[in-house]
Amino acid sequence: MKIKINNKNYKAEDGELIYDICKRSGINIPTLCSTPKVHEGVCWICVVENNGRLMTSCNTKVCDGMEIVTESEKIAKARRINLELLWADHAGKCVTCKKNRRCELQNLAEEQKIENFHFIPRKEEMTGGEELDLLKDNRSRVVVDEGNMAISRTTELCVECRRCINICPTKEFGFNNRAGDVVVGTPYEKPLDCIFCGQCVKNCPTGAITDKNDLQEIIEKLDDLKKMAIALVDPAILETVAFEQEEIISKEKLIGILKATGFEKVFDLGFGMEKMLEQMTEKVKINGNNNLMLSHCSSFNLYIEKYHPQFKNNIIDVANPDELMAEIIKGEYAKKEKINPQDIVVISISSCVSKKIKKSSNVDYVITVRELGRIIRQKNIKLKDIKESYFGKEFAVKDEKVKNAIRAGGASEIIAKKTKVKYIAADGVVQIKKVLDDLSKNRIETKIIEGMICEGGCINGGGQARKLK
Amino acid sequence: MKKEIKIITKNWGKINPKNIDEYIAAGGYQALFKFVKEMSPESALGEIKTSGLCGRGGAGFPAGQKLECVAQEKSKEKYFICNLDESEPGTYKDRAIVDNDPHMLLEGIVIASLIVGAKKAFIYINGNYRKQIEILERAVEQARKNVFIGQEILHSKYALDIEIFAGAGAYICGEETALINSIEGKRGEPRMRPPFPTQCGLFGQPTAVNNAETIANIPWIIESGGAAYAKIGSKKSPGTKLFIVNGSAKNPGVVELPLGIKLNDLLEKHAGGIQKGKEFWFAQIGGSSGRLALEKDLSMKLEYDREAKIPLGSGAILVVDKTADIHELLLSWTSFFRRESCGKCVPCREGTFRLWEIAKRLKDGEISERDVAAINDILWTLNNTTFCPLGKFAATAFSDAISNFQKEIYKLSR
Repeated sequence: MKIKINNKNYKAEDGELIYDICKRSGINIPTLCSTPKVHEGVCWICVVENNGRLMTSCNTKVCDGMEIVTESEKIAKARRINLELLWADHAGKCVTCKKNRRCELQNLAEEQKIENFHFIPRKEEMTGGEELDLLKDNRSRVVVDEGNMAISRTTELCVECRRCINICPTKEFGFNNRAGDVVVGTPYEKPLDCIFCGQCVKNCPTGAITDKNDLQEIIEKLDDLKKMAIALVDPAILETVAFEQEEIISKEKLIGILKATGFEKVFDLGFGMEKMLEQMTEKVKINGNNNLMLSHCSSFNLYIEKYHPQFKNNIIDVANPDELMAEIIKGEYAKKEKINPQDIVVISISSCVSKKIKKSSNVDYVITVRELGRIIRQKNIKLKDIKESYFGKEFAVKDEKVKNAIRAGGASEIIAKKTKVKYIAADGVVQIKKVLDDLSKNRIETKIIEGMICEGGCINGGGQARKLK
Repeated sequence: MKKEIKIITKNWGKINPKNIDEYIAAGGYQALFKFVKEMSPESALGEIKTSGLCGRGGAGFPAGQKLECVAQEKSKEKYFICNLDESEPGTYKDRAIVDNDPHMLLEGIVIASLIVGAKKAFIYINGNYRKQIEILERAVEQARKNVFIGQEILHSKYALDIEIFAGAGAYICGEETALINSIEGKRGEPRMRPPFPTQCGLFGQPTAVNNAETIANIPWIIESGGAAYAKIGSKKSPGTKLFIVNGSAKNPGVVELPLGIKLNDLLEKHAGGIQKGKEFWFAQIGGSSGRLALEKDLSMKLEYDREAKIPLGSGAILVVDKTADIHELLLSWTSFFRRESCGKCVPCREGTFRLWEIAKRLKDGEISERDVAAINDILWTLNNTTFCPLGKFAATAFSDAISNFQKEIYKLSR
């Protein structure tokens, strides 16, 4: 099929979306609401013109003879008005927002040069008495959910793009109320109680769903000379940490930057992974039962607990690598180095959000890649001048292959090789559901089952950063 | 004056709607007999196509074409849905049909369902119509007892079950894809088209969704033939239509008249003209989502025509006289749409809200220059960029009012 985009000929397959063709061909179309798999076409930012008619490019399939224009006065007008409408509905507290400079709405407004606002803001804090009067029946209900350890939500900053609704593997979110009063929320606005995979946090374009942590407290501890801050670096975060700060071009550079932000020691979490895999292998060897489930994915544990409790006993319970390492750090290591364990602050930098829920006492904080980015930005250091550095030698990784465990199927492969048993690995809730379904109907029989909630494993974890442009 | 043809209202006031025997005695279910005994689905479909019947819900899409699309689908499961989610302000024609002659509607539903090959039909009724739900439930029960519905309809091979599904009264659920979502148990939001419901509708199966008034025409067409129907009314859209006259007319209410009648004639001859001592200002054609007809448009023909300047819509006509407060009207329109938008897409969710806000300020006389600029922007974006037609509807009357009565609205005369 042949179509024209901006007066140039392009080839397209039947059923392809206009947006995909443009993206493939290097034509930039801004968008706010689409996720990789679901295109709703509700934000009307990705508009293009086809023979004079405006349409959303993200969910319109190509037809023969289409003549698409991606930039025109009409398109710019549509984008401007709709963005302005969204802005007026947004709280606009940019300076104090967790997502400042990493907010897609803010970026779009800047990119589309939104300067004048015709609409009177709806959720902004108003001071003048007259203005408040004007807003009387104008302020919609704001729902704030701080009921868990990992994710904080506020509808004040929500632009109702529906990404979280579409991305959530267990369908926790939906629209509540209707028309202008619409808010994204859980049924009956109950506090969020899910498997905390964090994909919603990762995909939220604004600061409506964010990581929960007291960053100010963490920064204080980093600056405190009496405290020894130790960073545990999850190998998975190296995949995306550059999206958060482009200066982080290598592992060594990251370690250097971490030391500059106030971490006295930076250790490779690979050591803890080795320990975890060793313990798992031992347990698999001793255990005579079949269909043992690996416990390294915290969200998977929660998923089994909440949705399939009949398999609770199948899980071979081994602590997280973070916990295993922190235990040694606060025990043997502190003794050897003659430090009071209470002065050690272990901060795990992870690609996982649910580790915050499953956190044990020895790990003081779990922060995500996004939170690391915020700490670095808040510290305001000149990243370019920072020299490269290396992991502390006290916890050296014997075999770099253990790091494959961050990928789906990695951990089970390593264990299966050592113990010479069969295994099944599933990633993503859809696959996991299928395996569990087969299991309950006795259609499968294997030694170990690995489940990872995030598709692809930790490299695609909910705590990872996302490329914005 | 020649005798007027009544199709839908022929039994109104003459029979007891709660009693199926009275409907049968008045010649009811004869069309179903004829269909089952003498006709095939194909020939019946042919009659409907010849009749030129078009959708009475507002869009005016040819009914025969829609039924044909579903009939041609090869799927085993098919559905037929009667759209009775009447929630356009000032429109109560479908309610009147159920109130006066529910069995005519049922007969139409049975015939149309059998034509497309559906084994299950739904009546999606506005949940606020409590009394009408009761009437329909009783009617379905009676029809089932008389084997007009069930496993072997009139002891033939045809089978059909009818389920009454009460919605929650949302305006958007009158849009067919939102209606389908609602029956499936999802949130009442429009779906992306294509695929059209005729290919992939309720539970992923081919589905025909027709307005109740359209369906009520079908028994007459089957009985008297499509050609006879095509002779009634205008050439572009044959047949009769229920017009609902509201506002400052002397005799407001539902009246059945052939399509193609001039607005002037309808108001003067059938609605008794304007109330005494009042002066005609404008009329809104087709409910809250309709355009405004001024004095110069009074000679317009009321018919379904794609090129018409003022579309007929649902057939509701609101007559406004010069004592009316235009600001109250603006507020009434905008508050309706700001309440009834589903909230899915940005332009409609935010736009209808802002428009309502501005209408409120207009009424209080607090309009600022920033609002005047905003009005044009919002109307433009509602008109051009919304997901479903509701956004467009929300802008129609408002834009007409702004362009025609600028002086009154901005109070420039002072």
